[in-house]
Amino acid sequence: MNPQMTQGLAELLEQVTGFIFPNEIEIHWSMLIVVYPYVTGLVAGAFILASLVKVFNIQEIQPTYRLSLLTALAFLLVAPLPLLLHLGHPLRFYEILLTPNPTSAMAMFGFVYAWYLMAVLLLEIWFEYRRDLIAMARSASFPLNVFYRALSLFSQDVSQEALAFDRKAIHVITIVGIPSAFLLHGYVGFIFGSVKANPWWGSVLMPIVFLMSAIVSGIAIVIFLYMVLTALRGEPIEMACLDKITSYLFYAVIVDFSLEALDFIHRLYQSEESVKILGKLITHKLFMSLIVIQILLGMLIPLGILVLAKARRFNDDLRKLLYFTAVILIQLGIFATRWNVVIGGQLFSKSFRGLMSYKMEVMGIEGLLVALGVLALPFAVLAVLLRLLPTKPHEEAAPELGGALPPPARTA
Amino acid sequence: MKVPEQVRRLALLIAILAGVTLLARFVLIPRALVSTDLHWAEAVQREVAKPVKFAGAVACQDCHEDVVVKKAKGFHKGVTCETCHGPAAKHTEEPGAVTPPAPRDRRFCPACHTYDPSRPTGFPQINPTAHNPLKPCISCHNAHDPVPPRVPRECAACHAQIERTKAVSSHALIACTTCHKAPERHKSAPRAALPSKPETREFCGTCHSAGTAAKDAPKEAPKVDLSTHGGRSLCWECHYPHLPEGRT
Repeated sequence: MNPQMTQGLAELLEQVTGFIFPNEIEIHWSMLIVVYPYVTGLVAGAFILASLVKVFNIQEIQPTYRLSLLTALAFLLVAPLPLLLHLGHPLRFYEILLTPNPTSAMAMFGFVYAWYLMAVLLLEIWFEYRRDLIAMARSASFPLNVFYRALSLFSQDVSQEALAFDRKAIHVITIVGIPSAFLLHGYVGFIFGSVKANPWWGSVLMPIVFLMSAIVSGIAIVIFLYMVLTALRGEPIEMACLDKITSYLFYAVIVDFSLEALDFIHRLYQSEESVKILGKLITHKLFMSLIVIQILLGMLIPLGILVLAKARRFNDDLRKLLYFTAVILIQLGIFATRWNVVIGGQLFSKSFRGLMSYKMEVMGIEGLLVALGVLALPFAVLAVLLRLLPTKPHEEAAPELGGALPPPARTA
Repeated sequence: MKVPEQVRRLALLIAILAGVTLLARFVLIPRALVSTDLHWAEAVQREVAKPVKFAGAVACQDCHEDVVVKKAKGFHKGVTCETCHGPAAKHTEEPGAVTPPAPRDRRFCPACHTYDPSRPTGFPQINPTAHNPLKPCISCHNAHDPVPPRVPRECAACHAQIERTKAVSSHALIACTTCHKAPERHKSAPRAALPSKPETREFCGTCHSAGTAAKDAPKEAPKVDLSTHGGRSLCWECHYPHLPEGRT
């Protein structure tokens, strides 16, 4: 063991309370493993929001449809990064490709991820943008036109029948995509929920709780991005759209809150042998992140704000301000939720008689700066995606190149 | 049916991707690289290169047969010689030059035998501060055949957790033998000769029944009418006799 690590562990030893087993002092799943379910949750949530437009045919939120898809893609591309960094030797990752393991719950992420990225998200985005890619390939100059042409797979057919087929394909993919998005984040919850040795994690409700909190955070991030983007572009916000999405956000937060409360009451009533140490965990180690940030700041206050904004007929500006505050608080709350699950589950001893401490690194590969970098990266990816793939349907025709294009695809 | 143009292009792309993946996996990547043996080869070499320190569980009996035979019958039969005497590979090579240490002071045995509530009940556990202070363990116990030098005076020697529970209960003044009849052999062969346990409601009734059956019982003992209380359930299905909750 290197001397630095020994010193670090010696410092931690003083913060241990009660009795712990020798191998429990070091918290192995660090900040990066908090970032991983958070980022994955945003993907699933943003996709569910997009599917509301296509499957449930809710026209008010059409302005955020493409933004939701691109948000999901940007975050999905970054989602495996915290895991790769956490490997310690990121370049060893190819080994899981060489020796795929279909019976390991951990290795299953590779399959779930590949399915979701390749069979759902990229396909849906391709069908959604195919017409625009063809149009942009015609109007853009070199080298972008070649790029767009390659992205459209050199497709040329923009007849009404072809566009109708696109719409039908998107519909089918979205219907397959909803259970896939549930699978993606339900899987992340399953990883924790299936650890039966850990009473803080081991619960069949875990995948469902993860899923609902994912939907909450995904909707909130799309609202945030929509408001920021319209402000940056100097465009007006469609208040009908904003009111509608925040209604969905409101319902999602209610369901999420109820599920977490159900989980809590269930544990309390079952009162298994772990209940005392979990009580101590909540009141000592997680008081700030669970009671104050997750429940109060991340749920009750945003719920109050949303109720206020819905119940009173405020003017548009005040409503925007209230919504914006609520979505930021909700993001904070959901991040705290992930923190409480991942870090919280490692802060008590399996002997149920002692509590450990987590000391976050700042500079190291699993430290704060890397985590912040990983959290910022999807926004950079999204900026590039938004530049290449505009969220507004391509209106201008290029008559001299191939006749007028039919009007942009809209759901029937 | 006419296949739409975009589906044909997409199908081509997917076919190419699948083809490249299969080609890479089954043709380009050498079979040895996919095998986990290669991935572990270095770790195996590293482990093999480590010097051998332990002689193993059977090496000792070649020379120390008397001790091995004795130990094989005792409670320490599952504990290997090197657990207490340390790695002895060098001793097997040069028996005269290197002698394995034998722990003779009081610090060694409590590693396993200090009282700890998470140890199984019945496992011999002592409080090292109170148990014959300063006396080396081996002056009374032979580690190769560890039996108590004399039979334990009280049950707490092994059943410490129950003893501690009972001590704070309203049954504190009742001796274990009031309810359990322990044959003498239980003290030397605890699992072969088990103590008895009460079997009927009437047994508890000798102190706790409201009728004449408990006329000699202390008056603090809570009294119930056995004919109506608890139906046909046995007393210990609801009450834990080592920590009964009833108070008068």
